[in-house]
Order: sequence, then structure tokens, then C-alpha cells
Amino acid sequence: MTPAWTLLSAFAGALLVLLLPARSAALSRVIALAAATIGALAAGAGCLAKLAHPDAAPWSFDRDWIPSLGARLHLQADGLSLALLLLTGLVAIAGILFSWNIDKRQRAFFSLFLTIIGGVYGVFLSRDAFLLFVCYEVVILPKYLLIAIWGSTRKEYGAMKLTMYSIGASALILVGLAAAYAAAGGTSFDLQHLAAADYSPGFQAWAFPVLFLGFAVLAGVWPFHTWAPTGHVAAPTAASMLLAGVVMKLGAFGALCVAMPIFPEGFAQWRGVIAGLAVMGVLYGAFTALSQKDLKFVIGYSSVSHMGFVLLGLAAATHWGLRGAALQMISHGVIAGLLFGIAGRVVYARTHTRDLAELRSFDLWRTLPGAAVAFTLATAASMGLPGFSGFVAEISVAIGLWESFPLLLIPLILGIVITGAFSLRALQKAFFPVRGETDAKPPKLPPLTWPELTAIVLLLAVSLAIGIYPKPWLVLIDDGLASPLFQSILP
Amino acid sequence: MNYSALFQQLLPEVILVVTALAVLATALAIEGRGKPAPLSVISSITCLGLLLAGASLILFPATGEAATPMIALDPLARLFKGVVIALGLLAVLLPPAKDEIRQPGEFHALLLFAITGLCLTVGTNHLLFLFVALELASLSLYLLAGFPRTARASEASLKYFLFGGVSAAFLLFGLSLIYGFSRAATLPEVATALAADPTSPLAIAGLAMVLAGLGFKLAAAPFHYWAPDVYQGAPATSVALVAAASKAVGLVVLVRFLLVGFHASGGSAAWGGIVSGWSVWLSILAAGSILFGNLLALAQTSVRRLLAYSAVANTGYLLVGLCANGAAAAGAALFYVVVYGLATLGALAVTAAVEREAGDDSVASFAGLVHRSPLQALALLVFMASLAGIPPLAGFVGKFALFSQALAETTVGTVSGITWLVALAAVMSAVSLYYYLQVLKQAFVTDGETAATGIGIGHALAIGVPAVALVVLGLFPSLLLEPVSTAVFVLSDGRVNPL
Repeated sequence: MTPAWTLLSAFAGALLVLLLPARSAALSRVIALAAATIGALAAGAGCLAKLAHPDAAPWSFDRDWIPSLGARLHLQADGLSLALLLLTGLVAIAGILFSWNIDKRQRAFFSLFLTIIGGVYGVFLSRDAFLLFVCYEVVILPKYLLIAIWGSTRKEYGAMKLTMYSIGASALILVGLAAAYAAAGGTSFDLQHLAAADYSPGFQAWAFPVLFLGFAVLAGVWPFHTWAPTGHVAAPTAASMLLAGVVMKLGAFGALCVAMPIFPEGFAQWRGVIAGLAVMGVLYGAFTALSQKDLKFVIGYSSVSHMGFVLLGLAAATHWGLRGAALQMISHGVIAGLLFGIAGRVVYARTHTRDLAELRSFDLWRTLPGAAVAFTLATAASMGLPGFSGFVAEISVAIGLWESFPLLLIPLILGIVITGAFSLRALQKAFFPVRGETDAKPPKLPPLTWPELTAIVLLLAVSLAIGIYPKPWLVLIDDGLASPLFQSILP
Repeated sequence: MNYSALFQQLLPEVILVVTALAVLATALAIEGRGKPAPLSVISSITCLGLLLAGASLILFPATGEAATPMIALDPLARLFKGVVIALGLLAVLLPPAKDEIRQPGEFHALLLFAITGLCLTVGTNHLLFLFVALELASLSLYLLAGFPRTARASEASLKYFLFGGVSAAFLLFGLSLIYGFSRAATLPEVATALAADPTSPLAIAGLAMVLAGLGFKLAAAPFHYWAPDVYQGAPATSVALVAAASKAVGLVVLVRFLLVGFHASGGSAAWGGIVSGWSVWLSILAAGSILFGNLLALAQTSVRRLLAYSAVANTGYLLVGLCANGAAAAGAALFYVVVYGLATLGALAVTAAVEREAGDDSVASFAGLVHRSPLQALALLVFMASLAGIPPLAGFVGKFALFSQALAETTVGTVSGITWLVALAAVMSAVSLYYYLQVLKQAFVTDGETAATGIGIGHALAIGVPAVALVVLGLFPSLLLEPVSTAVFVLSDGRVNPL
């Protein structure tokens, strides 16, 4: 089972679901779950094979595609790609489980969902900039439709804002890639070829920020992050999980594997600015999350804050920094998926509110103890407590930062403290409200369903596994970072 | 002149003219018995004629020396004759609104004459023949636009005619200046004369006039004022022909003029390295069209007018490709114009279906299309996404190839070329997604009328074929991109940078 099965299963599943006759629409979620499971298994098998035989040549696929343009179908699965594929597969499974009882236009929902997953797999596997960009853009329309049709809370506004930010950022990527392609001779989009070309420093000084910003917008870089909370809140639960958990990682992945290796000198000139913006993102996201009234907005802004760590790790540009960035991508993918799943599906579907003040009357830790326990653990992971993935990732980024921008550790620590504050505030207000004698008796709520419980356990287990035994993940990430692409970035 | 060779080399056009006469004769014969000719019979004959013409193009390719210097037998001519016939065939399949076409015989005969004119236009390097062929197409198109006897169609037709007449005068004046300069009637000879004197004011003035004339054909700003009215008022078939086939032909003529005739006086529009020449003028036209088309499209509530302004914007993208003055970028532009034509034709076909249900073409009429007809909605998604440049559809590959090749051909070493223009085009292309999404939002998100009446088989083909073609060309762009690139390379005789 090669990593190609990730892509194939997702797109084949999307097509199959779309072609289902109306009377067997209920089958769509089963097909979607099967497709996501095949993808996750393929990625997992790839990870295990890589760990067992670290020196084996990575799986790759290379065919002519558009000769006159020099674009090739070039896929390759190194450790980093495999780890991110596995993350995508797991979040996909959890997302489908959390959407198990969706009843509106099921076939279209799961088809669009699987299309996004397929596009994400494609980006993580691509080694040709054109192909990568194609997969990157494939997700735009499905994102819009998922939010606009199935969303809540100003869904059309949120969907349009998210889409226009995405496509605007894509325009920057297009210009940056076209400029690199032109300056590298106009013959090939292969990442290695583009990275090996000799660009003048003056050219890199403007081409790098254009390309990097294009990717960074999708990673939620401050001050271009505002689409993320609005869009993620408006999105249906599975889409929020996917958008915050995986799609934001596409931006970080593109910045790491495309923008930085192609223009290393431009990166060297701009990395101070990137680090500054990243710290601003960490702080701004955390402070804004502190004052939110809607539980999903708290998680939305915490995503901005956590993605700031990823960008910080990239800006640090040391081995630990990049490691930490990659690990934070995986860790945040799992945790954001979990938080959005519980807030958006488990709680909202039962209480029909996400307002922190209104949730008080539900006394959730008595009426929905399973969700309260899960959310508490997820909050602990999100705060970066030892034993969870967030801790390993954030400490790696901090080590990287110590090596390149030691002074930035001061605001970073402030950010971590605020993260603790807003996480505990939201947790307490939503799940453990202080209630007086006079308060009305909370209504009875239906208990957690099996799909919900499975998804929660799956994601929590991954976060714990990374937190307790991060070594295999680091081995996988190091395998990816050993690629010649990163030689010009790392000291 | 060898007439049998000429007959063989112009066989598709001959078939088209014979079909036009057959259509007229059939209509006359039926009307002579006192009842109007049925549309289905007439359009069937037209389709048959177009299919035969297309088949003759494939089965009996024109070979050997051209029988007269007036026609060119290069791969570009053959390829785009095929494109024009295919787009024409799809356009014929679009059904007219009720009582829109009262004399189907005349309408279809004119349609065939227009297609004949377009076919002849793409297959010539001769200045005089070019003008005659283009006018054959244009005069037929003016009439086709005004066929319904409504105020709106008459206004469209009159505007189209007046603007077209003035632009034809410009074109003719420009051609005569070029002839006066070079004493030659074909573009390769003009190129030879120009090589000796690349900055001749006479030739440059002539080219400027020609650009104005062709700018009208392509609906480039500021020569686009006819477009919104024609798109809104004319029958769907006429609009499809104007939007898809006529634009492709205009681009081919422009490619021939610029790459074959005036390659030497291209200059450069690169930021900081501007060299006087037609690239600079073209870059201004391109920037203007991109800005003007996209910004005005944002404000439209009629989908046909929206498509008209999108046509202006897309002309801008095409001109970006020609600005580079190179074969690869021109090849990408020719690929894009075909892809664009398919997407616009398909969008018009869906609009025609919506008009039959809802009575008008306002964006709000598209509400609930996905419940009325999921397949039409899906096709609309393909067309709009392709126009906006979203993969995996052909419009994405077209735009990407266009922009990256234009940049690659103007970039010397690491000194960037027309980055400013490419950046403008890319950003405005992102903006365009907003108005395409407004239509898609109605179709997919907003609830609306759910009762559907269904469409005919021809109409379904006019929607389905472009949709499938866009997906296939998006996944396997080489199917069209390679032949087009080769054709341009042959055309430019290896003078411009090879692929």
C-alpha cells in the first residue's frame, strides 16, 4: 500500500459519493469513512515502513505532465510528508465521525470534504511547484461551499471572507512562483530545480516576501489572520476541524518547502520580520481569545496564536526551530481538530449555543461529563502541558528560538501564560460554571454517541502519544528536513 | 491559379457555404407552402454541415503549396479552423428563446456565413484577404445580434454595427498604411520590409490602427462598449459565437500580425526597461482591460452583462501573453482563448436554461439551481471555476501558463520582465472569483424555485460537452497546449525563442 493510496482513496471516494443515487445517500458517510481510513492506513503504513527502514529510498512517482510548461507529476513521500499525511488522515476520520448524523445534502457534504482531503494530501506529496499549487488551489471552492451551505453564524460572510483571503494569497503565490520559474530559466517547476537556481539578492528581496506571504496568509500570519476565526466559526464542525487542523498547515508547509528553499537569501533578509509577525500572532491571538464570548471564537483565535509558533519555528531556521514548527503543525492539527469537534459538534448540537455566558445554565460537567473530561484534556494539550504534544512542539520551537532570536523568548513566554489564561477561562465558563442555589435545574442532555467518543479518543490518543514518546515523530520530521531542499536554510 | 487545389485547400469553407445555400433553399421551399420552416430541421442541416466541414478538416488536410498567396496552410490555420467550427457547432445547439428567431433559414445561413468568414480569417497572412474575410464574419454577426425584433436586440445590433464599422475603417486604414510602407500584401513580406526599417513611422501608425481595429473584435478596453449590450440583447447563439469563436479568431489575427509581421518592433514593457514598441501599447490595453473589466463586473446583476465584462477582463489576460512577444506565451494565450471560449459558451448555455425557467438572466434567477437541476449546477460550477482559474480545470492551467510564460519570455537572467503586468493580472484574477462566486452562491447556497422543466438534448450537449472538455483539458492540458505551441512555433519560423 503506497502513499499514493491517500490521494487515490480521497478523490475516488469523493467521486463515488457524488455519483451515489439519491436513495442510498446514507451510504455516503460510510464510503467517506472508508476512504479516509484507507488514506490514514496508507499514511500510517508509510510512516511505519520509514521508521523500520530509515535509509530506504522514499516512495516517489515522476511522470511527464505538461512538457511545454515543464510541469511534471512528481510526488514523493519523505518522513515529513508521511507524518503530515497521517495527521490529515486522522483528522479526516475524526471529522467524518463528528459529522456522522449530518442530514442536509449528505452526498455533497462528504464529496466536498473528501475533495479537500485529497487536495491536502496532494500538497504534502508534491515535489513539483506547479502540481503543489494545483492541489493547493483545489481546496478553495470546496471550502467555500462547505461553509456557505452547511455553516452557521454569518456563514456567507465568513465563507466569502475566507475564500477571498485564500485566493488573494494564491495570487501572490502565483506571482512568486512565476517569477522564480522565469528567473530559473523557464524550463521546469521542479522544486529541486527552482531551489538550485541562482537568483540575484535584489530579486530574492522582493520575490521571497511575495511568495512567503502568499503561503503565510493561509497559515494565519498576523495581521492577515482575520479570515481564520471568522471562517472557522462559520464553518460546520467537520470543516472547522479540517480547516484549522489541516488546511492552515498547507500554508506553513508551503512556506517551509517552497518559499524558504527557493529564495534562501531573501529568507535570510526577511526572517527578522517574520519572527516579529509570528510573535505578534502568538500574543494577539492569545489576548483576543481571552476576551471572546463565543467558545468557537476562543478556539479560532487560539489557532492563530498556535500557528504563530509554527511561523516562529520557521523564522528561527535552526534544526530545532524547523523541527518544532513541523511538530507544532502536527500537534496543533490534532488539538484544534479535537477542540473544534467538541465545541462545534458535541456541545453545540445539544445546547444550540456556544455563548460562554449561556452555556452556564447547562452546567455541562454534570450534564455532559464525557465532553467536559475530553475538553479538559484537550485544553491541557492546547496549553502545552507536559505529556501532551503541544509541550514537545512548543519547547522545540523555544529551543530553536533561543539559538537565533533569544530576546523573543520574553514575549513568547508571555504568550504561553496568556494561552493558559484564556484556555482555563473558556474551560471554566463553558464546562465548570459557578452556580448558585437559585439557578434553574440544568436540562438533561443526550450522552455522547459512539462516533463522537471514537473520534475524541482517537485524537486525544495521538496527542498523548506524541507528548509521551515524540521520538518516532522527530525521526520522521528529521528525515524530511534532511532533504537537500533545506541545506541552504539550515545553518 | 490551380482551382482544384484551391477547392481542396478550402474544402471546409466550401462545405459551409454550400450548407448555407442549402439551408436557405430548404427554408424557402418549406415557406413556399405557407408555413414557417421548423427550427429543428434547419438547425439539423446546419449541424450536419458543420460536422461535415469539421470532418473534411480532419480527413482531407490541406497539403502542398498554397494555391494562392491569399491563404496560409500552416498548422495554426488548421487548428483554429477546427476550433471555430467546434465552437460554432456548440453555439448552434443553444436553443433560442420563444419567438426570438422567426426566420430560422436566414438566421442559420448567416450563422454559417459568419463561421465561413471566421475560418477564412484564421487561414490567411494576406492583408486584403484578411479584411474581406473579417468583414464577411462581422457583417453576418451584426445581423445575427439583431435578429429578435426587440428593442434590446436592435440596440445591441446597432451599437455593434456602429462600433464595428468605425473599427473596420481603422483596420482598413491601418492595412493601407502598412501596405504603403512595405509595398507588400502579406505579413512575412511586411516583416522583411520592417527588418530593414524597424522604426518606420508609417508602419507603426499602421499597426496602431490595426490594433485599434482588432481591439474592438477582442473587446479590449477602451474598445469594449458594445460588448455588454450585445451579450445581453442578442440571441444566445449569436452571443456564443461573438464571445467564443470571434474572440479566438481575433486573437489568431493579432498573433499573426505581431509575431509574424511586426515581431521586430515589439520593444519591451518590462518595468524599468521600457523600450518603445507595440509591447508597451499592448501592456496598457491589457492593464486597462483587466482593471476595467473586473471592476465593472463586480457591479453587475445580469449574468450576461457580467460575462461581457468578464470577457473584457479575459481579453486583458490574453494581451498579457502577447505582450511578451514570444512563441511560448502566445501559445499559452491561444490555449487560453479556446478554454475561455468553452467556459463562456457553457456559462451562456446554462444562463439560457435559467432564462427559460425564470424569465430573465439576473443573478437572483440562479437561486436554487442545484435543486432544480444538479447537473446544470455542477456544469455551472465547472464553467465559473474555470473562468476564475481554479484547478483542476483548464482555465487554471491556461492562466498559469499564460502568466508564467509571459514572465519567462520577458525575463533576462534574473532581471524581471513584465512582472508588474503579471502581478496585476494575477491579483485582479483573484478579485474575479468574487463575482463568479456570487452566481455560484445563488446556484448552490440560496434556496429557490425547485420545479424543473428540463432541457432538450442539443441544449444538454451545449452544456455538457464544454464542461467535460474543461475537465479533460484541465487534467491533460498537453492535448491542446502542445499542438497550439507547436503551431505558433512553426508560424514564427523559429525566430522567436523556441520552446
